Amino acid sequence: MDFPEIVNMLRFFIRTGNFGYVDRIGNALTYEPVEMAILEALRAFRSIHESAKTDENYGKYIEKDGKKIYLPRIPSEEEIRTFLNAVRKDMSVAKRVATLALAFPSKGGEE
Amino acid sequence: MFLSVGVRFEANVEALNMVETAGNYTKHRRVPYLVEEDGKLKTVYVPAISGESLAHAYQWSLVKEALGMNLPVCEDCAKGEFFKSMNKAHLKKKIDPIPDDSKKIEATIIKSCVIEDVGGFLYAEKPPVRRSSAFQVSYALPIKSMALFATAEPQLHARHAQMDAKGKKGNVSEQMIYYVETGTALYGFTFNLDLDAIGVSSLGAGPIVPEEEIRARREASLKALFRMLSSAQFGAKLSRFFPVGGITELTVVVTEHPFVVTSPIYDSYIERTKKRLEVIKEAFREEYFFDSTNEVPEEVLRKAIEYLKEKGYV
Repeated sequence: MDFPEIVNMLRFFIRTGNFGYVDRIGNALTYEPVEMAILEALRAFRSIHESAKTDENYGKYIEKDGKKIYLPRIPSEEEIRTFLNAVRKDMSVAKRVATLALAFPSKGGEE
Repeated sequence: MFLSVGVRFEANVEALNMVETAGNYTKHRRVPYLVEEDGKLKTVYVPAISGESLAHAYQWSLVKEALGMNLPVCEDCAKGEFFKSMNKAHLKKKIDPIPDDSKKIEATIIKSCVIEDVGGFLYAEKPPVRRSSAFQVSYALPIKSMALFATAEPQLHARHAQMDAKGKKGNVSEQMIYYVETGTALYGFTFNLDLDAIGVSSLGAGPIVPEEEIRARREASLKALFRMLSSAQFGAKLSRFFPVGGITELTVVVTEHPFVVTSPIYDSYIERTKKRLEVIKEAFREEYFFDSTNEVPEEVLRKAIEYLKEKGYV
């Protein structure tokens, strides 16, 4: 269970210089901080999606320091539910997701 | 002498400390907080105001008080830009060429700026010179017994611009909505001031400025605290989100050696502070000043300054 949509969302924040969510998820010792970080990250990500620009291929992006940063898709309800349930059972799942988000994407992603 | 202040203030619908903007959503700072419910501890997220935010407001008050008393304030600090002689470019405004001796660097900075004397600095070049702040300030956090009633809620606002069809670019709308997350809580924070550290080298070189000026600097530091609390000029977004409420309780302690009031986040903080002071009085035979109020906080601050004047400290 690698939760690619959540990892991609966190990776987007990392690329914009916002490490707050990934750090909170990666360093959490109990379930509640993870749930709160996911809630806040999704809220922020939704807002960014709404105000993002769209290119000719309908890709959504924001501009930072003159560079385009493309937005991944909003994580699905199913993936969020599975992730939160998995974290409730085993906290190491949260650390694993945060670690993957911080790593260089293996394929299809961008850095 | 060491001054410690515990402050409780009510702030409704405030935006004193915003942390990030994502699209059209501006978030309030929030921190995890341990509360006890039905005999069990649990983590809740509550609105908070950072110590950095309060420290900035205090130093800005200190700029005005120091300038009002004809005390030296450097060019950067006078503008509210607290770079604190962080590198060669900023330190050269005070001394050029820059000496190799860290004691000389510290003395130059202290002589030329009250803010860096009281608020500390870090010159991060060779040789690095660091001075700890003579004042300390905590985060402002909701008091424990009411933490579960604290809220951070987004308020919807709109801005409107009339524009004709030609002036429109892309999907820009005439009406833009945005959310500002506001906090509501009864907050508590602690502020400490080590009066003995003002005007004195932290590298063991003794007093840097004359005794008379040290007293004036101490007085400016106390006045700045007085003014900051009395005017509620701390935090951000005051122009449209000035908090509704005010100081509900204030406790001041002045001791010969460092002593910190029990945190005002606890309901029994006044009684506990008194008990702790009594123990210290018996154990070390030290005098102290203590006062607390839930009516006129300015009166307590005034009495503390008078006590320090009687002692010849200001």
